[in-house]
Amino acid sequence: MIRRAVVFGLASVGIGFFVLPVVAIFARVPPARLFAQLDNPAVTDALRVSVETSAIAQTLILLVGTPTAVVLARRFRGRDLLVALVELPLVLPPAVAGLGLFAAFGRFGLLHTTIPFTKLAVVLAVALVSGPLYVRGAIAAFEAVDGNIVAASRTLGAGPTRTFFRVVIPLARAGLAAGAALALARGLGEFGATIMFAGSLRGVTETLPLAVYSEFNVDFDTALAISALLVALSAALLVALKWRPSLSTLRFRFAASS
Amino acid sequence: MILLTIFAAASLTNVLPAIDRHEHYSFAGSNALAAQLQQGAPADVFASANTSIPVQLFHQGLVEKPVVFTRNELTLIVPKSNPARIHSVADVANPGVKLVVAATGVPVGDYTRTVLHNMKQDAVLQNVVSNESDVREVLAKVALGEADAGFVYVTDARSVAGKVKTIGIRWSAQPRVSYAVAVATGSKHKAAARAWVKKLLGKAAQAKLRAAGFLPVR
Repeated sequence: MIRRAVVFGLASVGIGFFVLPVVAIFARVPPARLFAQLDNPAVTDALRVSVETSAIAQTLILLVGTPTAVVLARRFRGRDLLVALVELPLVLPPAVAGLGLFAAFGRFGLLHTTIPFTKLAVVLAVALVSGPLYVRGAIAAFEAVDGNIVAASRTLGAGPTRTFFRVVIPLARAGLAAGAALALARGLGEFGATIMFAGSLRGVTETLPLAVYSEFNVDFDTALAISALLVALSAALLVALKWRPSLSTLRFRFAASS
Repeated sequence: MILLTIFAAASLTNVLPAIDRHEHYSFAGSNALAAQLQQGAPADVFASANTSIPVQLFHQGLVEKPVVFTRNELTLIVPKSNPARIHSVADVANPGVKLVVAATGVPVGDYTRTVLHNMKQDAVLQNVVSNESDVREVLAKVALGEADAGFVYVTDARSVAGKVKTIGIRWSAQPRVSYAVAVATGSKHKAAARAWVKKLLGKAAQAKLRAAGFLPVR
């Protein structure tokens, strides 16, 4: 009995700890004020930048990340090392990712580009830190596709391209969608790499998280309102993910493969 | 021995530890530090790169009466290689120049806008590619060579002298940059904090400040 009480006690502490900061944001911003902030140009500009850059980053992630995952889902020598390298940006401190972007794409970086401080810089920062989440999910999804079904499709005369789009993608769809949603949610929250590599300019590179940071020093209430908006966006993404019944089986696969 | 927690403007990053290396320092934009103090951050002393922020905190009862302890001036900096070939403030308005400044509300950001207004060069602001949260971030991006130009304090430019070139701003366009220091009312070590402020106003500390390029209080 005591053990049970301890477990439940600790569990409620844990749940409370995770939930409290999010609830507190809404407790301090009455809904009326939150909606009023949607007219604040500082908020709408940041929302527009966030939506634009996230949409482009997400498109790039899907276009480049999917073939990446297809290749990495195969078995070959050095694959584990390659997967680890691709996943590394996920666990890198964002400031390190920002510095790495300068070292690679800066004016004096390896590739000598003029990308820093542009919208494209935001896109790259977002794609770098959130893309691996999609690739990781997509690898797991492709690995879970039954090889026999793929073989059957080929035996029945479908070419590799047709098999990929008509058999593999539909079978992996749930896993791909889950990975994409997680990457999108993470990308919307990207802060450290963006503020270093893209700077912060309203209407150009100032995303919602950057606006929270700059408004914190100016007007705490506006910062709270933007935070509430970010929480709502992220929650909507997570809810959309959880409410797709076909995904419930998939989460087991994620758990098993990670 | 009591270690004080000192919240200080980012432009004091090099000089304060040179004056007294034993305390706990937190360097950031003065407005960011003020926001932290307003949220209950436990500081003993607050040293700001202007007087208006500490005066505001004084009226809110968060710090004791602030005193001015040093002054500074602004300068335009460009990377040593000067990729955008900037030789005057007016050149910064040339098309395509990547100018990095501190945001409005950050003391140096406000001073930058004052300087440009005084020089009737407000058009320069069209080339801003980033509003940074403190002067050191402006300095870092220019020193790295990724930004073409930035406005910082003369003392910041000195700290990376090998990496940037300075383009002076005439005296008549300079804003009045005064640094004010105050003991936090929430401090648990007020006596030690007041003694520290007194030391900062003393001869030895003032000599170190001048050696770093800061100006004496008139």
